[in-house]
Amino acid sequence: MRLKKILFTGLFALGPAVVQAQSADTLGWLRKMHDATQKLSYTGTFVYQNGARSETSRITRYVDASGDIEKLEVMDGVPREIVRTKDTVRCYLPGSRLVKVDRRTDRGFPALLPERITALARHYDISLGESRRIAGYDCQAVVLTPRDNLRYGYRLYADVGSGMLLKAVTVDAAGEQVEQFMFTQLTIGGVTRDMVKPRHASRTWRVEDAGAAPAILAGWGLSSELPGFHKVIELKRRLGESRSAGQVVYSDGLAAVSVFIESLEGRTDPVRTGLASMGAIHIYTREVANHMVTVVGEAPAASVQRIANAVEYRRPQ
Amino acid sequence: MKDRLSALMDGELDDKSAAEVIAALGHDDEAVRTWRAYQLISDAMRESRRVLSPGFNARLAGRLAAEPTVLAPRALQTDSRRWYALSAAASVAAIGLVGWMAFGPQPQVAPAPAPVAQVQPETKPNIVPLPSAANDYLLAHQGFSPRVSLQGMAPYVRTVAEQAVESRK
Repeated sequence: MRLKKILFTGLFALGPAVVQAQSADTLGWLRKMHDATQKLSYTGTFVYQNGARSETSRITRYVDASGDIEKLEVMDGVPREIVRTKDTVRCYLPGSRLVKVDRRTDRGFPALLPERITALARHYDISLGESRRIAGYDCQAVVLTPRDNLRYGYRLYADVGSGMLLKAVTVDAAGEQVEQFMFTQLTIGGVTRDMVKPRHASRTWRVEDAGAAPAILAGWGLSSELPGFHKVIELKRRLGESRSAGQVVYSDGLAAVSVFIESLEGRTDPVRTGLASMGAIHIYTREVANHMVTVVGEAPAASVQRIANAVEYRRPQ
Repeated sequence: MKDRLSALMDGELDDKSAAEVIAALGHDDEAVRTWRAYQLISDAMRESRRVLSPGFNARLAGRLAAEPTVLAPRALQTDSRRWYALSAAASVAAIGLVGWMAFGPQPQVAPAPAPVAQVQPETKPNIVPLPSAANDYLLAHQGFSPRVSLQGMAPYVRTVAEQAVESRK
C-alpha cells in the first residue's frame, strides 16, 4: 500500500502551521490575560449585560502562597454570593438559607492552559483590535472570530499593563452583541484575606453537595461530535437536593457545552422538549431512552440543539 | 486484489483497471471490507476528525431510505424499484462525496484549519421556559468553562442571575 506518502503528508499536517498564521503577538495577549487571571489579586465592580438585562456584581480575588480565593457578590436584587477556593465552589443563597457546594474533581477545572491557547487558532481567527480606555485602564482588544458558525465570536479587552481582562463581549454570527461583562471599577492589589470571606454565617443553612466524581456513563455518547468540540470530562454528580445525574463536558478550548443525563424513573413531570435561552447560554432538553437529556452551553442555539439531538444510548455489550 | 485497491486509492490505476476494481466492489464483500479498512487507515492518518463512525454507511442509507418520499403513492407502487435505485444512487453519491472530501487534494504544507462547518438549520426548536433547575445546571456547568481561566468567576454571574428570575416568579 502506498500509504507512506499519506503518512508523510499527515505528519506535516500535524505541524503548527495553522498557528503560525496567527501572530505570536496576538497569542501573547491571550497568555497575558490568562496569567493575569492566575496571578493577580484584585477587587472590582463589573456589569453583566445580556439583552435588556444588566446586573452589577463585585468580584474579589486574593492570592497567596497557599493558592487563591475568589468571591463573587451580586449587588442587584436578592443578595447572593459565590466563593471559590482551590478545590471548592460554594454558592450562598441567603433567601433560601442554602449553600450549594461543588468540589473540583481530580482532573480539576479544565483550564485554558497556555499550550491550548495556540490550539484555539484552529477554530478562531485571532487578531488585535482597537485600543480603548476602560474603567481608567488603557486596554487592547483581542478579537476572536470563529472560523465557522458553530461557536460565538469574542472581543476581549485587556489592560495593557497587567493583562487583566476588563471587558469581554460575546458576538453572534451577525456581529450582534449577545452578552457582555465589563468592569466599571477595578483595583489591582491591596486585597486582604478578610475580603474574600463569605459574608453569611451559614452554619445552620442547608447544604447541597454535588458530590461530583469522574465516572464512565456506560452506553451514553454522541452519534457525531460537533466539529472542534471534544469530550473534556465525564462525571457523575447530584443536582439540587438529591437528583443523580451524569454530566459530559465538550469544549473547543474556549466555549463549553455540558450534557446532563438524568433518569426519568420515578419522575412524574413530563419532559418539555425544546430550547431555552439566556444571553449566550442555551439549554436544550429532550428525552432519550427514558432519560431526560439537558444540554447547557455558551454556544449558538443550533450548536446546543445539534449536540442534544446527537445524544444516544446504546446498551453496553 | 488488495494491491489493486491500494492503487485505486492512490489514483494510480488507468480508467479501464479502475472501472474493473470499482465493478468488483459491487459484488465482492471481501473487497468492500478491505476498501473500508484502507479508507479508515487513511482517514486516521490524515485527520482523525474525519473518521466516520462505525456503521455510518448503513445509517446513512437507512436515513435516506426513511426520507419522506415526494413521489405520489401510485407512482411508488408502479415503479418502486426505481425509487430504491434512486435512493441507492443517492447513497452512493453521498458516500462518493465523503470519499472525495477525505481523498481530495490535500494541501502539502499548510494544513486546513479545523474543518469549516456551517450549521445546517436544525428543525426549528420549540421554545420553552428555562427549566426550574436551570441554576443547578448552570452552576455545574460554569466550572468547566475554559473562560474561567481568562476572566475568573465572572461567568458564574449567569448562574446567580437566574436565581433572581426564579425568585421573582
